[in-house]
Amino acid sequence: MPLNPALEGRAYPPVRFVVESERVRRFAEAVGSAGADDGVPPTFATAPEIEAGLARVVADPELGLDFTRVVHGEQEYEWRRPFRVGETLEVRSRIESIRTKGGHGFLTIRTEMLDEDGETVVLARSTLIERGEV
Amino acid sequence: MSPSSPRLEDLAPGQAVPELAMAVTRERIAAYAEASGDRNPLHLDDAFARSVGFPGLIAHGMLTMGHLATCLTRWAGDPGALRRLRVQFRAPVLAGETIVAGGTVREVDPVERRVVLDVWVRLEREGRTEHPIRRGEAELRLP
Repeated sequence: MPLNPALEGRAYPPVRFVVESERVRRFAEAVGSAGADDGVPPTFATAPEIEAGLARVVADPELGLDFTRVVHGEQEYEWRRPFRVGETLEVRSRIESIRTKGGHGFLTIRTEMLDEDGETVVLARSTLIERGEV
Repeated sequence: MSPSSPRLEDLAPGQAVPELAMAVTRERIAAYAEASGDRNPLHLDDAFARSVGFPGLIAHGMLTMGHLATCLTRWAGDPGALRRLRVQFRAPVLAGETIVAGGTVREVDPVERRVVLDVWVRLEREGRTEHPIRRGEAELRLP
């Protein structure tokens, strides 16, 4: 079943995500960045992006995404400042585009993470590819 | 900032960022799945990964991107230096492989204190070089 193009532009309700020190520590170890001077790894952004954003988009029954055929195509982050341990983020995701090319579906999701003052901390753009049936 | 951090004034197009290697073990992939929240069975279940055409577990593309970011922030001496990173995932990384991240300076902007780099992640597989990430782009701000 192809992706439902009518969902282009759909925004999902914002979700809160707390930047917990233990979660940061485990993430930093996994990406080999757990040194004393390393701080919060910039790509820690992936945790709130997935948990509060992507997970709900890909589970949207109206989208018709077959997760067993999904691979990650592209990823982009734009950081306005580093994360602070203990802060609470508001995470907003929306479907930026839905395209079909060469039998594959391309889903681009835009996620914005804001701090308690409403300032943008990180902008994320993720393109998932739903591989065509073989 | 560490004493070895690059000074913007010393940078020029073509200069290389020191490469950084990482062994992508099954344990690391499992730890990344937990820490990131991406528990796609492609990264955790051998049988599932094989059923969709891979030779076994594959690493998250985001884990290879995370390693690339580590390479860049270590070079800059500051995790806050990284302002933008864009990559395409071009080839899967299999559990047990070793990836190498690197980059070269493309552009230096002394007014904005900004450096743009071409970045990549490569690995050796059966005597050939593959690029899980090629033609990535990074932007850093240096003091």
